[in-house]
Amino acid sequence: MVELYWLQGAVPETTKPSPEMPPWKETAVVGKRVPRVDGYDRVSGSAVYPRDILLPDMLHAAILRCPHAHAKVKKIDVSAAEKMPGVRAILTAQSPGADIPWFPRRDKPSTSIFDQHLRCEGDEVAAVAADTLLQAQDALKAIKVQYEELPFVLSVEEALKEGAPVLHEGGNRVAPPAVYERGDLKKGLSEADAVVERTYTTACEIHVPMEVHGSVAKWDGNRLTVWDSTQGVFAVHETVAEALKIPMANVRVIGHYMGGGFGSKLECGKYTIIAALLAKVTARPVKLFLTREETFTMTGNRPPNKMSVRLGAKKDGTLTAIEFLSTGTGGAYPASATTSFMATDLYLCPNVKSSDENVFTNAGRARPFRAPGFPQCAWALEQAMDELAARLGMDPVELRLKNIPKTSQRRGNQPYTSTGLADCLREGAKAFGWNEARARKKPDGPVKKGFGVAASLWGYAGGPPSTVIVKLFSDGSVNLNMGAADIGTGTKTFMSMIVSEELGVPLEKIQIEHADTGTTQYTAPSGGSKTVPSDGPAARAAAWEVKKKLLALAAEEMKLPVEELMLSGAEIVSTKDSTKKLAVKAVKGLERQQVLVGVGTRGPNPEGKIVTPFAVHFAEVEVDERTGEVRVTRLVAAQDSGRPMNRLTYDCQVFGGLVMGIGLARTEERVLDRQTGKMVNANWHDYKIPTALDVPVDQKVVAVDPGDTECNATGAKGIGEPATIATAAAIANAVADAVGVRVVDSPITPIRMSQLFRERQKKG
Amino acid sequence: MLPNFAYVRPSTLVDAVKELAKPGAAAHAGGTDLIGCLRDGVFDTKSVVSLTALKELHGVSATPDGGLRIGALTTLAEIARHPEIAKLYPALAQGAASAASPQLRNQGTLGGNICQRPRCWYFRGDFDCARKNGEFCYAENGENRYHAIFGGETCHIVHPSDTAPALVALEAVATVAGPNGKRKVPLGKFFVLPAVDHKRENVLAKGEILTEVVLPKAPEGARGGYRKMRVRGVWDFALAGLAYSVVVKGGKVERARLVLSGVAPIPWRVAEAEKVLTGKALDAATVKAAVEAAVAGAKPLAENAYKIDLVRAVVEEVLTAIPK
Ligand SMILES: Cc1cc2nc3c(=O)[nH]c(=O)nc-3n(C[C@H](O)[C@H](O)[C@H](O)COP(=O)(O)OP(=O)(O)OC[C@H]3O[C@@H](n4cnc5c(N)ncnc54)[C@H](O)[C@@H]3O)c2cc1C
Repeated sequence: MVELYWLQGAVPETTKPSPEMPPWKETAVVGKRVPRVDGYDRVSGSAVYPRDILLPDMLHAAILRCPHAHAKVKKIDVSAAEKMPGVRAILTAQSPGADIPWFPRRDKPSTSIFDQHLRCEGDEVAAVAADTLLQAQDALKAIKVQYEELPFVLSVEEALKEGAPVLHEGGNRVAPPAVYERGDLKKGLSEADAVVERTYTTACEIHVPMEVHGSVAKWDGNRLTVWDSTQGVFAVHETVAEALKIPMANVRVIGHYMGGGFGSKLECGKYTIIAALLAKVTARPVKLFLTREETFTMTGNRPPNKMSVRLGAKKDGTLTAIEFLSTGTGGAYPASATTSFMATDLYLCPNVKSSDENVFTNAGRARPFRAPGFPQCAWALEQAMDELAARLGMDPVELRLKNIPKTSQRRGNQPYTSTGLADCLREGAKAFGWNEARARKKPDGPVKKGFGVAASLWGYAGGPPSTVIVKLFSDGSVNLNMGAADIGTGTKTFMSMIVSEELGVPLEKIQIEHADTGTTQYTAPSGGSKTVPSDGPAARAAAWEVKKKLLALAAEEMKLPVEELMLSGAEIVSTKDSTKKLAVKAVKGLERQQVLVGVGTRGPNPEGKIVTPFAVHFAEVEVDERTGEVRVTRLVAAQDSGRPMNRLTYDCQVFGGLVMGIGLARTEERVLDRQTGKMVNANWHDYKIPTALDVPVDQKVVAVDPGDTECNATGAKGIGEPATIATAAAIANAVADAVGVRVVDSPITPIRMSQLFRERQKKG
Repeated sequence: MLPNFAYVRPSTLVDAVKELAKPGAAAHAGGTDLIGCLRDGVFDTKSVVSLTALKELHGVSATPDGGLRIGALTTLAEIARHPEIAKLYPALAQGAASAASPQLRNQGTLGGNICQRPRCWYFRGDFDCARKNGEFCYAENGENRYHAIFGGETCHIVHPSDTAPALVALEAVATVAGPNGKRKVPLGKFFVLPAVDHKRENVLAKGEILTEVVLPKAPEGARGGYRKMRVRGVWDFALAGLAYSVVVKGGKVERARLVLSGVAPIPWRVAEAEKVLTGKALDAATVKAAVEAAVAGAKPLAENAYKIDLVRAVVEEVLTAIPK
């Protein structure tokens, strides 16, 4: 099982949904291209994001952060700051009630809210609430802190050296290396006709969502309301209650809109707790949003990884051995830096060994980042596959087609409910014009074209628990009540489409209530591409139940057997005699009850089988052999995410995934100063996310739907993360095809290319 | 966050100079660079003096001797789309068009682009570096991939401007107004190397304002342009670039001006390469000699030797493309 570290602790299983819902065949709404139901609100500015919240008497807060990579607080003096105009409260480790273990849900908390041992730049030292944000920030400057600076480590190698500075009791290893083995690697390698071996690295990436992280906290007596920019109100709910030691029933977390997270907003931040503490001592609502600079160091990253890959294959391309050894650093506090999963599962291979090592360093803590670990793995594994294909004289698509598994070898050899991997390879290659492209003659000029492919899978496809409530009112309008956040992916829209599909109610008549722990039901945070496959089936089940109740009422009134009736638009019609019908609004039982309520739950995943999305990406690039400039000129993404729910937002997810993949491949890299351990590019122009000019106009999405009737009641497997896993590797393979140079370290900049061209020249 | 400061908007040049001569005053044109510096705490200011009401600083007009006068407040966007500039001074038009992003070009001015502070991440960040009040240059032994390969010494910044190299190549002359009246400074002498003074980037004294830039008449048959290399397609400073103006007559180079961006603390004119070209046919051997001359004397730091390759590449690319 993939490590789902955003889901800590026990996950409650829910019961099977009562009705057995048959798989959809032809659909009227689901799968169509439907613009977002909240699109107007989002673009017009009427959508209220947490950052927009303004409450009467609200104070503004800011956090004083450690300017050093590793230090201890020796002394802290807030007396001058306290006297400054507008300052209402200052919190430090010494403040009553501020000594809160962090993270409260773990058995062994490794730190506390204001830990006096500061393990990376940005660690929290104090916080101020004032009448205005400027006053709060001025006050931060007036707090005098005496630090004892400590030696620091920034890389895995440094952290594991004898005598290295230690971040946590028990040493710098987060855990012993996680090793996985099947078969006999040595034997596999000795059976191979060709072996390729190489070490790859990926740079650390920052999430950079549009909306910065933060919360507004407001107390009413002993009840706390939090507006949070979060991917999961229930995750925040639980942590807030535990940290503040108050009943969950007293906490309400609201997250109607949020401006992106990409994994960095899956858990409760310290800032939320700090806002709540400041609100408590001041008896005023408190707004605490981080600055853009703070989000670069303190809200997570895709950890940097180093991966050594060894592949062995027979002459005909049959894989005989895969070795994948990964190290990484999740930063200063426990956070996964695992990458190996996909390498052990994507291709049929009897002899496999992998290991993942994770080490503490004095840098910002990693958080799950869109398909955590998988794009890194693809960067290494899929480049190795490319090299292997060249070694064998085989086409890279053919080599992959030769090694398609029907089962998840990593997960007990259980069969997949469906696998579109082969179809993604074939249909993607066709849409891309792969054979023609690879057969072309190289131009003589300095700008060389290249074509690359990379395959992928994603290790999760949703599951229980999720509870959705659908209410049908007597006028035929519907209320859809769900716990899930819409993190920009179009959740509200596709969930409405599912309800519309079952009930025949037009989208305009569906109102949504969501992401509010006070009024909606539990679901896991929107991460792991789970919202479609987890919450979608629950929505269908809820609508199904409403429909069942409605048909039962109608059957009584129409004096027909219920099996004979179907819901068609706003009418109930007999399947035997279409003249026998009854308008929904005319159902007396509905009028009497005023509302029909359906409660839908997500049932368990199919027993003994594995649900997995797959994807294959194709890239075309141009490389200037003189300057090392690389342009991505064309991308094709063939995705098996099962049935698309909303084809418009499905494509949008893929385009967004491709852009992020371009970021990993071409532009993004956290840079830490080796002299001080501080991040030097913690801003939006030195940390380079791709711009419109770095993204090709020519991008195509091929939706491969294997018609999965077993995965869940919607046939959908999740698209958000599978859309970004293979991109960077496909681009790197295209670069290798263009100029014959293998770029093992991301990102592929003119800086990197120049170095590689130099090395090539030296070798001659 | 922004510090506290007073804001003044004088309506005459004399008043503006007076305001700027006061301690802690800073000129504000488009503000795209200044406000960022203040917000990041790069330097402090007591008063921000807006130049926007000064009529003398606006407008583009022909000069009597066939050149062009560009007011310091002309925006980069205006320069990029000005038909005359595009035709006669393509290096400048392309320089302006390749700077920053569309929003910034709409707001940022030519004067501000020339006078903007360096983008070195140590200078801009929370580091007490030599260009601020510190003792040493952090880039020397630090993260120096974007830093200078020429003229660094006590501070290894690169000059950030994409228009300045073109202005140097075009032999533009700046008009500067100050407490002692006006003076003219050729752009080639406007910028200051760290060896001279590593706390400033140009010759402007306290209270001085750059009011305009005057371009001499474009030489007959000149070929010019600006070629910029960067990590991403837009919203990115140059890794290296080349502004050039070359006149070829009768199969021989009559005059060549080659000025590099992104490689030195000032726009870096490669006079040796110009010399190599002058009087020669633009054949492969000449181009090769010019390429070598352009990189001669480069002193790369640990992470920026690639800039030598970029300079070689861009000089070769540009010269090869000029019709012989
Ligand atoms: C994200 C980002 C990316 C950028 N990328 C690029 C790039 O790729 N290439 C590039 O060339 N530039 C780039 N820039 C810089 C941008 O072009 C400049 O900020 C802009 O041109 C400055 O013009 P302004 O009018 O806004 O200057 P201001 O911010 O008003 O002033 C800048 C500085 O010059 C001084 N100043 C301004 N006008 C005068 C004057 N007339 N006389 C004396 N002193 C004056 C000010 O006191 C201040 O110190 C970028 C800027 C940003 C923020």
